[in-house]
Amino acid sequence: MVKPVVIVVGADKGGVGKTTVSRTLLDYFSANNVPTRAFDTESPRGTLKRFHPDITEIVDMTSTSDQMKIFDTLNSASPSVTVIDVRAGLLSPALASLRDIGFLDAARGGQITFAVFHILGPSIASLDEIAETANFMIGAKYFLVKNFINNTSFFEWDQATYNSYFRRIKDATELTIPKLNEMAYEQVEVASVPFLKFVANKGVHDETENYSFVLRGYVRHWLANVWSEFDRIKLTDLVGAGQSGARVSGEK
Amino acid sequence: MQRTPVFIICSPRPLVGKTLTARLLCEFLLLKHSTVAAFDINLKEPSLLEYLPAITETAEVDDTFGKMALMDRVIVNDGIAKVIDLGFHAFDEFFKMSEEIGFMKEAARRGVAPVILFVADTDRASARGYGMLTQQIPANALVTVDNELVVLGELPAAMDNGRVIRISALPVFLKTYISRLTFSFTDYLRGEKDSSTELHQWIRRNYSSFRDLELTLILQQP
Repeated sequence: MVKPVVIVVGADKGGVGKTTVSRTLLDYFSANNVPTRAFDTESPRGTLKRFHPDITEIVDMTSTSDQMKIFDTLNSASPSVTVIDVRAGLLSPALASLRDIGFLDAARGGQITFAVFHILGPSIASLDEIAETANFMIGAKYFLVKNFINNTSFFEWDQATYNSYFRRIKDATELTIPKLNEMAYEQVEVASVPFLKFVANKGVHDETENYSFVLRGYVRHWLANVWSEFDRIKLTDLVGAGQSGARVSGEK
Repeated sequence: MQRTPVFIICSPRPLVGKTLTARLLCEFLLLKHSTVAAFDINLKEPSLLEYLPAITETAEVDDTFGKMALMDRVIVNDGIAKVIDLGFHAFDEFFKMSEEIGFMKEAARRGVAPVILFVADTDRASARGYGMLTQQIPANALVTVDNELVVLGELPAAMDNGRVIRISALPVFLKTYISRLTFSFTDYLRGEKDSSTELHQWIRRNYSSFRDLELTLILQQP
């Protein structure tokens, strides 16, 4: 039987692109034919749900009943991959809750595949989170995501600072999300559709839309770059699906 | 299905004859099909807009709005040939964008046939620009324009491999004559009774080159 996979996307800082990364993950799994479900913890109104309403449920990670909804169904739910978009400021508490309910022990014991995509912001405070989060990461796959969607930098100009954070955790894997053209990003926001649908010129209900060819081109190019990062870290292997030969690239 | 041609006249160098080529091509297309849509991204040099204001509109690729306004018009298979006079300052940005948005692939999918007319020069910027285009543009869509007045009969060997359109040099007084904003190549052909004049033959030679290019496009259609 395929092991359940839980991917937590989070940061303790807001506006660093957690939901954007979650959306690219859902698109990536969809294109690779990996059945996926998602939980959006921006209760009561979730951004992730707006883009992927069919597979996303809004939950409150701090409530026991919602924790049960997520974790008690891991083995029974048909999609083997669960993506949780953790709202700003809740990453450390969420990981603490997972430790308390024995989830982290199960991951360490190999019963569950557990991965954390930690989205970093360009501040020392954000980088300090790495050390804090790392305490929970034994037995988990830990990805440090440098999100350039906000045209930011991560102290690469100061190697001492950079190394003190990015080299601190031996088993962490760095991941880079490149910048997406601002207008293209906004147009997808307005369209409220997954990136894949936007590239395919489809609306919410799969109707043909009239999005700008230029903006679709920018999104397609950007999404391909993001996915090549996911390919680099062998994400499909991690979720037990292997590399799909015929990936759906959006536009037919 | 008939494909709509999009001619992109370009060079990373100023004053090599891009607008002259664009004028000739536009007038040829107008003569042959009665319709053409031209886009001028060349406002820092002699401008196509000044010569053919009735069929030309300005465009820019400096920002995303400009790129959308231009490319969303150009990518349509509406049967109206398009001519883009691409200024040297916009050369890198245009082809960077073209690569990023997958212009060539999408054009083929939509029944649009881009043809890049690269106006050659002998300097390093041109060599680099041409090299970049050969990586990005299929060989059958890349045409070198050998403007004799610019390369002086020494077209770099690397640019002489594929299809080449040659524009012979005119004497200075004729060059000045055709540079007048009110001058029309087609009107000259129609008005000049003596078909043996140098200018008459020069225009006819260039029109023949474009007709051959169009025929090649038709033969390449799937």
